[in-house]
Amino acid sequence: MKDVTAEDLNALIRTFDESDWKELALQVEDFRIFISRDPNSAGAPWLASTSPPAPSPAGPPSAPPAPLAAAAGAPAVPAQDSAPPVPDNCVVVKAPNLGIFYRSPKPGAPPYVELEAEVDEDTEICLIEVMKLFTPVRAGIRGIVRQVCVEDGEMVEHDQPLFYVEPSA
Amino acid sequence: MTIQRLFVANRGEIAVRIIRAAHALGMETVLGASAADRNSLAASMAQRTVVVGAAEPARSYLDERLIVQAALGSGCDGLHPGYGFLSERSALARLCEENGIAFVGPRPDTIEALGDKLSARRIAQASGVPLVPGTPALASVDAACAAADDIGYPVVMKATAGGGGRGMFFAHGPADVRASFNKASEEARAAFGDGSLYIERFVENARHVEVQVFGDGEGRVLHFGERDCSIQRRYQKLIEEAPCTVMPDEIRAELHAAAVKLTSDLNYRNAGTVEFLYDTDRGEFYFIEVNARIQVEHPVSELISRRDLVAMQLRLAGGEPMTLQQSDIRLHGHAIECRVNAEDPDNDFRPNPGRITAFQTPDMDFVRLDTFCGEGAVIPPYYDSMIGKLIVYGNDRDEALQRMETAMHRFQLEGVTSNMELQHFIVAHDDFRNNQITTRWLEQTGLSAFANRQE
Repeated sequence: MKDVTAEDLNALIRTFDESDWKELALQVEDFRIFISRDPNSAGAPWLASTSPPAPSPAGPPSAPPAPLAAAAGAPAVPAQDSAPPVPDNCVVVKAPNLGIFYRSPKPGAPPYVELEAEVDEDTEICLIEVMKLFTPVRAGIRGIVRQVCVEDGEMVEHDQPLFYVEPSA
Repeated sequence: MTIQRLFVANRGEIAVRIIRAAHALGMETVLGASAADRNSLAASMAQRTVVVGAAEPARSYLDERLIVQAALGSGCDGLHPGYGFLSERSALARLCEENGIAFVGPRPDTIEALGDKLSARRIAQASGVPLVPGTPALASVDAACAAADDIGYPVVMKATAGGGGRGMFFAHGPADVRASFNKASEEARAAFGDGSLYIERFVENARHVEVQVFGDGEGRVLHFGERDCSIQRRYQKLIEEAPCTVMPDEIRAELHAAAVKLTSDLNYRNAGTVEFLYDTDRGEFYFIEVNARIQVEHPVSELISRRDLVAMQLRLAGGEPMTLQQSDIRLHGHAIECRVNAEDPDNDFRPNPGRITAFQTPDMDFVRLDTFCGEGAVIPPYYDSMIGKLIVYGNDRDEALQRMETAMHRFQLEGVTSNMELQHFIVAHDDFRNNQITTRWLEQTGLSAFANRQE
């Protein structure tokens, strides 16, 4: 179907309108159309197998480090590689420098922030340790914490995503 | 107990050099890079790259805590600091030591003792290594004249309390001392609140010579001959060669012995360089300082000794005993290194960072190019402007010079302005070919000749 015209589309939508179908998915060669009356639709069937693209306001922190040959103390691959996709419209809070990531002010204490917590610009959300020097990181934005990207106690690199925060209106 | 996984705390060509040596020894490597270097050649070679901080050196390469944290976090048991950055900061060596990481370099207290100029001079003096003849503070014009007579004219008079040229003057004879002493003393008093002056011999025709040493940390030190680094601009070396062919053999032997004595008295560990000023008129040398690290120009010593100094560094730091004997080190031939920098000699050496659009290296025997660049590589604006080091070897100086000229002809570099044309001009200049240069030659003669060159 190389030559789809506006008239073709009009005809298709008219047919859909006059029917009692909930959804229409049509694929002919490289032409695809999906029409739905359902606001909670799962989307076009050809999208179901692939996740929506993760927002990447700043891109990944670096090429994922190649895992070293197995040896004592081999570092874990950073968590963001296997992290689930992130909700749309989120802003990433990144590590200001390399260090050890801690979610709580001290061992055993509750985390600075939980998932879905409301934060503002000045909310301290984690600690980064560099050789026993602990520096709090602030959210820098008003919103809701939608994802924590790093495990407690893991080493993070400069610019590595730590949290995704959905800004409040 | 060799190093299993080495942290490379540097960038540019020396990071590449270290990674290559480490891999040849079967070590794993982790590069600690700044955000600006995460896609560098060294990053593609290392098994892992961790981005330690932002591009500005103070937030990445110059923060020893970040560096050691990164080394610990990536499971490294050794750390090579390269040159520049933190290489001679004792705090890095100490932090490594405290955290069980083998520091590839001297002990922290050695770095500290040699890093302080006055302390380094005391160490040299204690080892009987000659310093530039000078005096303590002088009380009067008459005392100054008597002292200058002892030292021998020309002399330079300096303020004991400060630098920056204030209170400083040159004297070619007693009349100059009498004419300037009181005025200079007043100037020093006005500037530093202390009018006392001292005298040092002024070396008119000096060469910068330095001895490559390597110590086992227990008092045994080997030397790998000397280098002549007299082509300098503002104390930055541009061309280095080995050996120093203008030095007579008996002085050369004394020079090597002085460097070995000084460093073995310190139980010096790992690679180092003892720098001297060589007075070609008097045939005497004077201690300047010790650089407690591997230096930029180490390859010329490697070529004439056929020894891999960086590999030796890594093995010693990993606990391997130094089995090499001085008699195993046979120096032969001549090596020359030209630093290729992204700076414009026609515009006051303005740095010229940017992307290299063409990079055709000379395909020749007896030529070595230590670089982190290739076509498409970027010279970031945050660091020194070195693109690479073009190094050639010959049986003698003339053959090496010939090869250097050919290599420069065949080295095609586009996209950034480099100092290659100046380097080529120097290498082709009669004064350099005839080896009639001093540490001031480039600034006094070479640069103006280059500015007036016929294109």
